[in-house]
Amino acid sequence: MRALFPYLLVAPAVTYLLSITLYPGIYAIYQSFFLVRFNEWIPVGTDNYVELFADTEFWGALLNTLIIGGIALAVECLLALVLAYFAYRDPFIRGWRIVFLMPMLFMPSAVAFLWKLAFNDGRVISDLLMRLGLISQNIDFLGSVPLARLTLIVADVWQWTPFLFIIFVAALQGQDQEIEEAARLDGARWPQIFWNISLPMMRPVIAVAVILRGIDITTMFTNVYIMTNGTPGGTTETISYFIYRQGFRTFNFGYASAAAVIMLIITVVSAQLIVKRAFRSGRA
Amino acid sequence: MASIHLDNVVKRYGAFVGVKEMNLQIADEEFLVLLGPSGCGKTTTMRMIAGLEEPSEGDIRIASEVVNGLDARDRDVAMVFQGYALYPNMSIYENIRFPLRMRGVPKNQQDALIRRAADMVELGDFLDRKPAALSGGQRQRAALARAVVRQPQVFLMDEPLSNLDAKLRASMRVQIKHLQRKLRITTVYVTHDQIEAMTLADRIVVMSRGEIQQVGTPDEIYSDPANTFVAGFIGSPPMNLIEGQVHSGRFIAPGIDIAAPGHMHGNVTLGFRPEDCGIAPDGQAGLTGTVYGIEPTGDSTFLTILAGDKQVEVKAPRDFRAPLDSCASIALDPARLYFFDSATGQRMRSTQ
Ligand SMILES: Nc1ncnc2c1ncn2[C@@H]1O[C@H](COP(=O)(O)OP(=O)(O)OP(=O)(O)O)[C@@H](O)[C@H]1O
Ligand SMILES: [Mg+2]
Repeated sequence: MRALFPYLLVAPAVTYLLSITLYPGIYAIYQSFFLVRFNEWIPVGTDNYVELFADTEFWGALLNTLIIGGIALAVECLLALVLAYFAYRDPFIRGWRIVFLMPMLFMPSAVAFLWKLAFNDGRVISDLLMRLGLISQNIDFLGSVPLARLTLIVADVWQWTPFLFIIFVAALQGQDQEIEEAARLDGARWPQIFWNISLPMMRPVIAVAVILRGIDITTMFTNVYIMTNGTPGGTTETISYFIYRQGFRTFNFGYASAAAVIMLIITVVSAQLIVKRAFRSGRA
Repeated sequence: MASIHLDNVVKRYGAFVGVKEMNLQIADEEFLVLLGPSGCGKTTTMRMIAGLEEPSEGDIRIASEVVNGLDARDRDVAMVFQGYALYPNMSIYENIRFPLRMRGVPKNQQDALIRRAADMVELGDFLDRKPAALSGGQRQRAALARAVVRQPQVFLMDEPLSNLDAKLRASMRVQIKHLQRKLRITTVYVTHDQIEAMTLADRIVVMSRGEIQQVGTPDEIYSDPANTFVAGFIGSPPMNLIEGQVHSGRFIAPGIDIAAPGHMHGNVTLGFRPEDCGIAPDGQAGLTGTVYGIEPTGDSTFLTILAGDKQVEVKAPRDFRAPLDSCASIALDPARLYFFDSATGQRMRSTQ
């Protein structure tokens, strides 16, 4: 009984995890080898995958995810790093950092609707820019590829920069102040200190943050679903949205599963690469 | 070229006063040692000179230029931090090279300078390692090398040898002194170690609780202490301090009855160094007590005598032995007695 007790304690968590990750995961892999027609499962071998590799919409969605997610992630990291570097000594920010988490606490769909109002339906942003005299007529944010992508990037940056900011502030606060002071005495100015000292010391933290955020961003769905629906011409359709469309619009479940499996492989491999690179020269 | 002046410098942390009203003139090319117990404000004083901490009051001048508000980077000061502060992501080579790189030393001169500094601290074989892969003493030497690799106006060294073994410490001590003399750079050096202070310093500043107790050459500090704190802090073992009373020209305490300078009376503390007294032939004793302990150290024997309830240290010849609890008579050298006011701890000079 005594020996069993620890297992008993972790059992609920393990069961929970297995049931929501492992089971659906294996189910998806299994399903990706079938053509699913409502109740009927027709084994098709690797047909789904073959078809997927020839599907320009799939590759398009992958590219969109990369462009939108990549830019958003880069901007978030950069912004968060710079803000964190200038703010982390500030006692006010130390005391109130939890406030910066607010955008993350809002319901994603609500945030998406707000941005939809701001950019598209409500034209709040166009209106503001017009009043400032920067533009002379309404901008149709869904009318151009870069602008449509920009709306998704802005929404993501707004919601997630604080998350990275908090992580980076914590990392900087954890750094030994004397090291930065030594660098100052050695004649380094702040950009040199940031580049030569602080940034390399933060490498593992940045890697973890990028992975967490990166995984989340590759599954970007809510904003696409609510704000753009993939328009114009599928140029804002992310992989998640593609999978959703294949699965729940055209009920092509086997095909959607195959896409999900490929996405999973890509995510795991890239995360692994980043971790390896970031932690390789951290020590020794 | 680079003298340092502290004029009425005060450092407060909230209500706590870390450094009180400090006035100190450090001459150009001087080797000044700050000596004092833990928490007395040595590091704080250094950090203010370096520009890492702003004084709450008062001025700091380097080379007669007021440097208050001047960024640490622009003060041209090199510092060895108490906690080493090596850059963890860089190899030792890169660590030592960093100040050269930041100060724009031409690339083709860097390597020779780095190797010279590394050789001085005997770290030539460890240049490729990261700080995490070094022992505490090796890290400390790397920090020292990084500070001495260039020629600043001022060296600040915060206990740079505290983690080294006795032998290495002795050799590094000589090297630091030699280097300082050769480069002729004004140096402020913090230590707990009296031997280090005595051997290195042109002048020693003894501090306690944020206040300067005495400034003087090692000789002055040793043979002319200004108060009981300095007397009890310097020397190993330190000066014996015995509280007693002076009545009509005689100092009286348990086991002691000796002549005191005429102008004193009341509560007086007598001080004498263990090395300034000896075993007395019978009848000439200034102090009598019983033997409490004997510690042979090789070149001499330290004798602890119990006089009343007070322990007194005496340095005796190296072959001196006596049974415990036997009577001991100690002769005091009248020329080497120090008298302090018991109330204030200040020295009472017999010349006045
Ligand atoms: N940032 C700070 N905030 C509050 N008090 C401080 C701060 N820095 C130092 N002190 C206090 O100031 C006093 C002097 O500190 P300092 O570091 O100068 O001591 P030190 O003489 O270098 O001691 P040690 O020999 O142990 O290094 C200490 O009592 C310390 O607690
Ligand atoms: Mg200190």
